[in-house]
Amino acid sequence: MENVVEIRNLTKSYGKNRGVIDVSLDIKQGDIFGFLGPNGAGKSTTIRSMLGFLKINSGGIKILEMDSVKDHERILKEVGYMPSEAWFYDSMRVSDVIKYAAQVRGLDCTDEARKLCERLKVDTTKRIKELSLGNRKKVSIVCAMQHRPKLFIFDEPTGGLDPLMQKKFFELINEYVEQGATCLLSTHVLSEVDKYCKNAAIMREGRLSMLDSPHIDDETFLKFYEEEEE
Amino acid sequence: MKAVLKRELLNNMKNLLIWSLSVGILGLICILLYQSMQGDMKEMADAFSNMGAFSDAFGMSTLSIATLKGYFATEVGTVHGLGSAMFAAIIAITIISKEEDSHTGEFLFSLPLSRSKILVCKALCIAVMLVVFTVICTVFYIAGFIMLDEEVPYEQLLTFMGRQLLMNFEISGICFGLSSLAGKNRTGLGLGIALICYCYDLMGRVVPDLKDYLYIGPYSYANAAEIFTDTKAPENSLVLAFVFIIIGVLFAFWNYNRRDLAS
Repeated sequence: MENVVEIRNLTKSYGKNRGVIDVSLDIKQGDIFGFLGPNGAGKSTTIRSMLGFLKINSGGIKILEMDSVKDHERILKEVGYMPSEAWFYDSMRVSDVIKYAAQVRGLDCTDEARKLCERLKVDTTKRIKELSLGNRKKVSIVCAMQHRPKLFIFDEPTGGLDPLMQKKFFELINEYVEQGATCLLSTHVLSEVDKYCKNAAIMREGRLSMLDSPHIDDETFLKFYEEEEE
Repeated sequence: MKAVLKRELLNNMKNLLIWSLSVGILGLICILLYQSMQGDMKEMADAFSNMGAFSDAFGMSTLSIATLKGYFATEVGTVHGLGSAMFAAIIAITIISKEEDSHTGEFLFSLPLSRSKILVCKALCIAVMLVVFTVICTVFYIAGFIMLDEEVPYEQLLTFMGRQLLMNFEISGICFGLSSLAGKNRTGLGLGIALICYCYDLMGRVVPDLKDYLYIGPYSYANAAEIFTDTKAPENSLVLAFVFIIIGVLFAFWNYNRRDLAS
């Protein structure tokens, strides 16, 4: 199985503030990789570096065997990203946002988008400004999935989603992964990692530690947070 | 890229309509008011042309506001000069920074487009907006002349609107560069730049010591009174306009491609 994500010695700082330090990580094809860690530990910094939003200080990132800096555009064609805060242009209708995301990719994703909207119960006639956080997140899921990417990157995807939608969301991930996709799931919810992930790592103070198994108990999990607080 | 450009145009359409109709209709009303004021204009024109430096500043020493052409240059010229510069500044200073300010950047920048391509779309959007704004206002002003059964001074009017468009490009070029800085709403700064440029020109025409440096400001080559009296624009001011536009746009590309994007 080939590595879909290869991060080597990634270091990113924000001026004098720590971002991530010497992070190395491999994610293999077909994996659902749980990415845990307290707030400010560096999960989003790692993800945003992978997507080219941040300029890294040192190290290298390869996604689908492409360099994250040189092949930035080609990588984004194959990636479906859902940010933790799902913001869109307020005045747009949901249908326009979904269509716009497909058009920029030069694709006609009408059928897949319709299927996703039906399953997630997305009202495509509403304007973005009329939507709650949960409903905006559903739009974000459709935008991330409609082009059937090879790699999904989800940053705290289930916050704001009701339990039924959370279930449907993970069903969708499993279906795409069964068809050959890979998923990086950044979350605070241990039960999600326990239930759905095949591998996991935890970030603390900018450093990454691989977990032997994604099935860890609450006490072990909370220790990571407590140590951070101390 | 076409989809992004279309989206940018749609996102800014409301602004364009509000500003172009406001400035255009205000200009048209000013032109139409000329007829009702025509009777008193002779005395007013004499008084205004003898106010020394202030007459120079507003061009009333070289043009008589008793004629529609002179009235247009002094009154509508000021309205359009200020209105168009404010519009140019507002759209350009928010067009890049709004993505981070309103948190839409993560959506836009996760789409498979380089930052440079996105900036090209945004720069093109500004250019289209300014051209359409100028065309709409020009139509209103020509309509005003026609409604008063006056001969339209096409050559001077189109030169004036063309120079105003260049002035708008210059201000928007500077603001475009500033918009690439960290994503905060800087509408106040944009408006300030437009007003400072206007005041600089006004002061430069009143204060003799500043006259030699008037060419630095964008209003120096877009002054209605000078254009309607066929005064040649200082060449260095036109060269400087292009220099400012190029620097502003290049800075935006350089800065935006090298920095982190806020979430």
